[in-house]
Amino acid sequence: MDALRLQNVVKRFGDFTAVEDLSFSVAAGEVFGFLGGNGAGKTTSLRMVLDILRPDAGTIAVLGRAPGRGNSALLGFLPEERGLYRSMTAIDTIVYFGRLKGMAAADARAEGKVLLERFGLAAFAKTSVDKLSKGMAQKVQLATAVVNKPQLLLLDEPFSGLDPVNQGLLEDEIVRAAKGGAAVVFSTHVMQHAERLCDRLLLLARGRKLFEGTQDAARATLPVEIHLAAQRSPEGLPGVIDAQLRGSDGAWQEWTVRLQPGHDPGDLLEYCTAQGVTLRRFEQRRASLHEVFLHIVGGEAR
Amino acid sequence: MLQHIMLVAAREFRQIAMTRSFWFTLLILPAAFGFGPVFSRFLDKSDTETVMLVDQSGGTVGAALRQRIQLDEQRAALDALARYVRRHDLQKAAPDALWAQPERWYSDADVARFTAEGGVEGARRAIARVSREDAEGFKAPEAGYRVVEPPASVVRAAPGAIDKALEPLLHPGEKSQARPIDYVVLIPRDFGASPAVRLWANGVPRGAFVAKLQTVLTQELRTRYLTANGLPPQAAVAASAIGPAIQVTTPPEGSGRERVFIRSILPLACAYILMMSLVLSGSWMLQGTVEERSNKLLETVLACVSPNELMYGKLVGTVGVGLSMIVTWAACGAFAAYATHGAIAELIRPALAPVSSIGSVAAILYFFTAGYVMVSMLFLVIGAMSDSMRDAQGYLTPVILVIMMPFTLLVQAVLRGAGGVGVEVLTWIPLYTPFTVLARLGSGIPTWEVLGSGVTLAAFIVLEVWLLGRVFRASLLAGGGKRSLGQIAALMRRADA
Repeated sequence: MDALRLQNVVKRFGDFTAVEDLSFSVAAGEVFGFLGGNGAGKTTSLRMVLDILRPDAGTIAVLGRAPGRGNSALLGFLPEERGLYRSMTAIDTIVYFGRLKGMAAADARAEGKVLLERFGLAAFAKTSVDKLSKGMAQKVQLATAVVNKPQLLLLDEPFSGLDPVNQGLLEDEIVRAAKGGAAVVFSTHVMQHAERLCDRLLLLARGRKLFEGTQDAARATLPVEIHLAAQRSPEGLPGVIDAQLRGSDGAWQEWTVRLQPGHDPGDLLEYCTAQGVTLRRFEQRRASLHEVFLHIVGGEAR
Repeated sequence: MLQHIMLVAAREFRQIAMTRSFWFTLLILPAAFGFGPVFSRFLDKSDTETVMLVDQSGGTVGAALRQRIQLDEQRAALDALARYVRRHDLQKAAPDALWAQPERWYSDADVARFTAEGGVEGARRAIARVSREDAEGFKAPEAGYRVVEPPASVVRAAPGAIDKALEPLLHPGEKSQARPIDYVVLIPRDFGASPAVRLWANGVPRGAFVAKLQTVLTQELRTRYLTANGLPPQAAVAASAIGPAIQVTTPPEGSGRERVFIRSILPLACAYILMMSLVLSGSWMLQGTVEERSNKLLETVLACVSPNELMYGKLVGTVGVGLSMIVTWAACGAFAAYATHGAIAELIRPALAPVSSIGSVAAILYFFTAGYVMVSMLFLVIGAMSDSMRDAQGYLTPVILVIMMPFTLLVQAVLRGAGGVGVEVLTWIPLYTPFTVLARLGSGIPTWEVLGSGVTLAAFIVLEVWLLGRVFRASLLAGGGKRSLGQIAALMRRADA
């Protein structure tokens, strides 16, 4: 059973279509990147999963059930815009949200203490939120999201506003949750995090899905770039779109070669070896997710 | 659902209960009652006015005025004593005493007899034989006037110089510690031949004082006139003193106009307390809701609880805060009644009469709670539509004005015992129903009106929660600044909100 499944989901606000015919699924233990620029429809989609908004069409299954607060015991959610009750203490805040998710007060308190210890905030358990630094408050909010050990963890732009130390802590928590069997869905427009964490990703623009798959599959949408040193031009070799001469060192010429999307660089190497094309260097340059994003989303971004 | 509502309500309650303003408000009423009498002892300014009698005509007129003032003071004391004796059922202490007889208007002869029998102290001694506590409990009313002797410089002053001589007495300098004299009465040497007398007052003179002065001086002038026209002096004095013997019939204590006043005290207090606690706890809840919006908390909360659960939880929490304030104040009142050995309970017993039936208590509880839900819902929606307290004030000020404005008129109308079309109309306007019905419970309101307005109010609350609930839900995560009335009305019509 998928932890999360959306099928042909549509959400409109008046004449404006925020999400259009969106379908995807996330399996248990998977880290799923929900990527898109500002206004792509990421937050609207997550709000529909949480039943804060209702879709105009399509179906959503959360852990095999319809969206609703009945699922809150199994869900964790960290919104993009974060805030806490300023007069509540750190531990009381965690206990409150734990109880809203159906936990017993004692269990929520015990788990809250464990989390605060892990986040280095044990000494601040009884400090009110308004006396915590911004970074500390963000860790408390993360604790409220995971206190119930959710099976589906939804993180909306979780890295925004975090310093590098807290970004690392959050990445550790995401990995920890996935290893524990939870499905993790996080939206972001910062590709470095997605690159480090995601098993699969979905690219969204103007409410429409442009891509869903693994990082390799995403990269495969871009022409593969190879840097090679040969004694003759690689133009005309199988799969080569074009080749640019970068320089020469005696008889050896430095070339940048672009392969057709989906063409395996290994096939080219094998061909060169078989045909006696002498190579002194053969390096594949791996496209970054940022480049993939620009390539796929490009002009679609709002 | 219920668990979520109660969790939200408990958090709401805790948040408000943790504020200093909550505790300040909670304790200020008991503190005011507790310390009020102590402070008033220090701050209370005596109402006794000073009178200086300057009699240049020989002294008899001044003596007559002094006697009149003293007689009237004794009459007031006798009257207060008689009422006290009836209230405490002490007639058996001295059945023949004037103060033990049915209420009446005491003549000068009666007052003279009362004074001759020892006045208040004599009565106290008699009462002490029956109840020492009651004897010590009576406090004679404060004297209205205190006669002070004029200084020699004033007595000897020539007619043209007397104003100057009185100036420092009537208007002592700012640095002077002396209290100004309130009245100076000058009886000139030729009084009798001439009716002219002079009165200096340190402000607008009391009508009662001028009437007193006029009565005595008229008697004096009349006596002199009759004597001058051949009537024997004794007959002239008797003729001048002729007056009607007015027998006063009043309803028993605690009835009539007084009854309306006493019986309305508690219901009016309920209406007032409802108003005050509503405005206060509603404001606290509003602050909490604005905080949730401005701190971007709502999305986290709404991931766990539905908008309706959040709305009902906040309403329950606010009603809880209000009721806890009422219970605390009532408990303080009960404690005070106990601590004062029932003296306060004795005083408020007539006030409790209109709320002594189960129906009255049920009506108070119902309209109190319904009023809370109705007004709290308004505050809640204002909070949900506001990004800051400044935004909220824009909605809040007109709402509070609309709720509070008719309240003063209502209190006055009820205390006058006047129903009137205005009060009737207010009874049936749901926004004012709780306050009006509570206020009218003392002066009498037909049962059918209580039931009818109660049902109307319940229907209004259902409609209000239904329509404003849509505004609340639609506003929770919406931005875009302050909404116009048209936009709010459009949200009420949106079925999907």
